[in-house]
Amino acid sequence: MAEEPESVLQLPSTAAAGGEGLTDVSPETATPEPPSSAAVSPGTEEPSGDTKKKIDILLKAVGDTPIMKTKKWAVERTRTIQGLIDFIKKFLKLVASEQLFIYVNQSFAPSPDQEVGTLYECFGSDGKLVLHYCKSQAWG
Amino acid sequence: MEEDEFFGEKTFQHHCSEFIKHSQQIGDGWEWRSSKDCSDGYMCKTHFQIKSGTMVSHPGTYAGVQTCPPVEEVLEVPLDDAEATETAAASEVIKYEYHVLYSSSYQVPVLYFRASFLDGRPLALKDIWEGVHECYQTRLQQGPWDTITQQEHPILGQPFFVLHPCKTNEFMAPVLKNSQKINRNINYITSWLSIVGPVVGLNLPLSYAIATSQDESNAL
Repeated sequence: MAEEPESVLQLPSTAAAGGEGLTDVSPETATPEPPSSAAVSPGTEEPSGDTKKKIDILLKAVGDTPIMKTKKWAVERTRTIQGLIDFIKKFLKLVASEQLFIYVNQSFAPSPDQEVGTLYECFGSDGKLVLHYCKSQAWG
Repeated sequence: MEEDEFFGEKTFQHHCSEFIKHSQQIGDGWEWRSSKDCSDGYMCKTHFQIKSGTMVSHPGTYAGVQTCPPVEEVLEVPLDDAEATETAAASEVIKYEYHVLYSSSYQVPVLYFRASFLDGRPLALKDIWEGVHECYQTRLQQGPWDTITQQEHPILGQPFFVLHPCKTNEFMAPVLKNSQKINRNINYITSWLSIVGPVVGLNLPLSYAIATSQDESNAL
C-alpha cells in the first residue's frame, strides 16, 4: 500500500487509551537506522542518558480494515500488544464488539501481554518494527 | 504449500506436524495423538499452573517473556450452582489440557480444552477464565456462551470445553489472503493458535513466529 506523507501531530494524552508514550514520527526522521541509534522522534521527552526507550513502529492494515492516517509511531518498549490494540481501536473508532488483531511477520499474533520492545528485537529491521493489524468480529 | 480457503484434513495434519517439529525444538510440549484406528488424530499439550495466577511453564526456552499476569478480579458470570470458589489462600496446581482437532463440518481446526486439579476434580469454565488474560475477559463476559461450549471430545469421548469454530474462517481469511498476496507460506495452525490461544489462557512462545520466517527464507 502507498505511503502518504505524514503530518506531525501531537496526540493529546486523553485521546490515547492509557497511551502515554505514543507519538508519531514524521517521515523525515524515520530514516533507516540501526536499533541502537539514539535518534528519537521530535517533541518527545525522553530522559537523556537512557538507552533508547522508544521504538519505531509502522502500522499496516490488512484486508478491509480501515487504514490509519498516521502509520508511523514512536512507542515505548514496554508497551504491550494489548495496549497497542486498545490504542488503534480508539484511533479507528471501533465499537466494542469489533475485535482487532495485531500480527508480526503478517502471520503471527503475539500474546496480548507481549512487549513491543521484545518484538522489535526479534522482528525489527531498518530501525523499525512493522506490525499488521486486522479488524474482525470474531467473537461478536 | 498453497494456502487457499479450503483447509482439508491432510493440510491440517501437515501444518500440525510442522508446528510440532518446532515445539519439539523448543520443548513446548505439543504432541500428536492418533485415534485408535489411526484414521485421524489431534495435537495436544498439557501444562500445569499454580492457581494463584503464576504460570508454571513447561520446561523449554522461548524468545520473550511469557508470564500470565495475575488476575484478581472476580468474573461476573452467573453461577447456577453453589460451587465453592477457591480463594488464593491455598495454592493448588491445575492441569490444563489443550487439544487441536480438525472439524470436517467447518473445515477448520478447533480448540478443545479442559482443566482439572491434580486429584481429578474438573474446573468449571469460570475458574478457567481466571487464567485468561484481562483483555479477553470483557469479551468473554459479553457472550461467552455463544463461543465456548462443552462437548464430547470426538476421539476421547470425554467432556471438553470447545472454542466454537464458526467464526474461524472470518478471522483467518484476511491472514490467508494476505499471505497469498505477498506470496509467502504461513503455517495455518501457528497463525490460528496464536489468535485463539490467549482467549483460553494458552500463549504461544514468540519463537513460533521466528520459525515460520526461517522456513520462508529457506524456501526462497
